[in-house]
Amino acid sequence: MPEAEFTDNAALLERLRERDADAFRQVFEHYSDRLFRVALRILEDEREAEGVVQDSFLRLIESLDRLRGDAKIGTWLYRVAHNAALDRLRRRRPTQDLADEAQDDPGDLPPPVNLVDWTDLPEDQLCSSEATDYLDQAVAGLSDSLRAVFTLREIEGLSTAETADTLGISQSAVKVRLHRARLTLRERLADYFSEQVGLGDPKQA
Amino acid sequence: MQCDDLLNYLSDYIDNDLDEALSAEARAHLATCPNCKVVLDTTMQTIALTRDREKRVIPAARRQQLFDQLQDAFLNQPDKTM
Repeated sequence: MPEAEFTDNAALLERLRERDADAFRQVFEHYSDRLFRVALRILEDEREAEGVVQDSFLRLIESLDRLRGDAKIGTWLYRVAHNAALDRLRRRRPTQDLADEAQDDPGDLPPPVNLVDWTDLPEDQLCSSEATDYLDQAVAGLSDSLRAVFTLREIEGLSTAETADTLGISQSAVKVRLHRARLTLRERLADYFSEQVGLGDPKQA
Repeated sequence: MQCDDLLNYLSDYIDNDLDEALSAEARAHLATCPNCKVVLDTTMQTIALTRDREKRVIPAARRQQLFDQLQDAFLNQPDKTM
């Protein structure tokens, strides 16, 4: 489900320019938690992520009269929030280079190693709190460039084009990074869940 | 289609981004290759689990505070179009 934009984007921007309080509430309701999650995936700190939400909306307010009529408010906000979170991260660890190796070569994918089928595990095992913690850590363990694409596409439901606009990269780079992120996470989850396959079920052991 | 090709096309296959000819080739390969079938199924399960993951939100009290501050800034920012 594409969630990045309102369908009546131009009308909404016009109402914002006229300082329509309802329009502002609508935009805040729609985007504040989404921007929070984008920032949280980068910063892993709730207060800092709230700061990013605040900064992003303040930037929007300041920029209202400069935005083009066809500007996409959602993608614009995502981009501002993403960059603001990266800025905060750089301030926090200034000596560390954030530019991780861009893995945009479509060839040369790591071959899948763990080929155990764990998809028939019962729901309560797949969704146990230990399993979801493991999943969160696996997402957090992705490289910065893969995690950014994975978060926007898979968790926030942005389209390939919207993700490309937000991150300032090509659509083909979005696709390659999403593919790598999925395969990386698949491998991590397979390592975790495959150990539970066959436990208490002798015919799969 | 070989296993390497299937792996390259896997996300496009999952996202229905392959043309019909390639998609048919992928289906034919998957029908005869148990390993690739496992990779497909576990990748789709991985995606489903991440999508189902409870989404974190701004704590309610802080969210209200933030909204009040921002609405203030919004309403008090002079409208230059007038």
